[in-house]
Amino acid sequence: MASMGGPNDLSSEMELDAFRRLFPICFHERHLLESIRPDGRALGRARDTTLMLGAVASANGSALAKIGCTTMLAAIKLEVMTPTAEAPDEGCIAIDFHMPPICSPLVRPGRPAELAPVISKQLSDTILRQGIISGMINLKDLCLVSGKAAWMAYLDIYCLDADGALFDAALLSAVAAFSHLQIPVVSFNDDGRIVLISDDNSGAMKEKEPVNKEKIKLKLNNLPFSLTCILHKNYILADPTSEEESIMETFLTVVLDSSFQLVSLNKPGGPGLAHTSSIQECITLTRQRVKEVQKILQEAISDMEVD
Amino acid sequence: MAGKSSATPTTYSPSLSGQKKKRPSFLTDSDWVRPDGRGPHQCRPAFLRTGAVNSASGSAYAEFGNTKVIVSVFGPRESKKAMMYSDTGRLNCNVSYTTFATPIRGQAPETKDLSSMLHKALEGAIILKSFPKTTVDVFALVLESGGSDLPVITTCASLALADAGIMLYDMVASVSVSCIGKNLLIDPVSEEESYQDGSLMITCMPSRNEVTQMTVTGEWSTPKIHEAMQLCLDACSKLGKIMRSCLKEAASGPQD
Repeated sequence: MASMGGPNDLSSEMELDAFRRLFPICFHERHLLESIRPDGRALGRARDTTLMLGAVASANGSALAKIGCTTMLAAIKLEVMTPTAEAPDEGCIAIDFHMPPICSPLVRPGRPAELAPVISKQLSDTILRQGIISGMINLKDLCLVSGKAAWMAYLDIYCLDADGALFDAALLSAVAAFSHLQIPVVSFNDDGRIVLISDDNSGAMKEKEPVNKEKIKLKLNNLPFSLTCILHKNYILADPTSEEESIMETFLTVVLDSSFQLVSLNKPGGPGLAHTSSIQECITLTRQRVKEVQKILQEAISDMEVD
Repeated sequence: MAGKSSATPTTYSPSLSGQKKKRPSFLTDSDWVRPDGRGPHQCRPAFLRTGAVNSASGSAYAEFGNTKVIVSVFGPRESKKAMMYSDTGRLNCNVSYTTFATPIRGQAPETKDLSSMLHKALEGAIILKSFPKTTVDVFALVLESGGSDLPVITTCASLALADAGIMLYDMVASVSVSCIGKNLLIDPVSEEESYQDGSLMITCMPSRNEVTQMTVTGEWSTPKIHEAMQLCLDACSKLGKIMRSCLKEAASGPQD
């Protein structure tokens, strides 16, 4: 392959791993020419994705999402709060994304990853967007007694293994954790505080009217799903690994909801510019990906119900 | 998170109604019935797996009952620039908890002392001379805290070090015992730890029969300490066998 010139001339004389490290762009472009990626995927294909609901026993809702090696653990804990005067019949959701030092060699304790607050904000914007039709969660569903008590849902997402496409995996784990969330049965005690009613002492608590009759699931509308693509020259690579992300630095993240409406489109700068046609192609790839992911989520939910 | 917590009203976690948790006083003389139905000298079933985190040099996941821990090992890699020259390697340990690790959100224990305890427990088992001028980082994340956290972290970290191919004299296994009244309970869960009169933890290298760390806190009589130490050492050697078989399995299984 001397035709490509430059450092490629060395490719036949050098060990594969050394070539990959020394000339990463050439290494990847040689693959792209053949329409394949170093891990054997086609350019537009995402990695194998798995979901497990209920991974954290102590949480009210939780999920473990894996896209390739990227692993996210999301858990929701419900606490009680007094609603604000402006919105007396609404609960609240606080979303936090964490990158502990275990997840990547680039994160050191005491020096939090720069990426974590960025993803945290993106997730909040995507999940908490409020609209008449488009909102994923109606905050009014989190109300217990108007003006007195409402649920505060703390969603914490931990990146356990960072291997690219962190936002996609984090959003998937968050959506899955909300699908798994169960609101417990509670009632007021004598001090006016909310207390849990467990199955075994419900008989003794009969005299107190429970606020909600049984465990309920949160109603979710229009779940958001995302796909991150790399734009490199004329190529579009879906669901990049961290190696690909470190070499080719122009990303485009598309979020669509379950009815394929566009929720957000994010191209945070980068050296490459995007043509309208490539943006459209990214959206097409995301549509396919949303179908795939919806199926995976459905399967995880039905697996959960069987158990 | 800080920005959010100031903007949102104070919240509390709803507790179970009508159940005041108090240590029953009669227990001092009678037998303690363990919440998970184990015998007093029975450890929780241990699940260990290496290679949990792909981006690390080595990693391990440990699950002992409800205690779930991931440890990643990075390096040996360049020491911080501020570090002086050293002809032996450095070990750097850090332990953190997820916000949902404890039943009530954000009540994780102080992790600075856990990090330093982990460092001291592992230091003696690592051949630091084998990686001069560099640092090995051992980072632990407690996903769920269900009691005996530090022994589980130490055991898991030792397995992760072996997975990373760091030279060790031997792997270390760690087990703790709680003393409640006249009962000695091995591998206590959180509830038992909260009622304990005393606790004893031993970290040792089973095949060399050497102890790298031992802590005793609370009220103990000399015969009790002997009994508890024997219990811990026996459990450590059994745990060591499980760790070994976990590593063998990983080595003989299909390579990714």
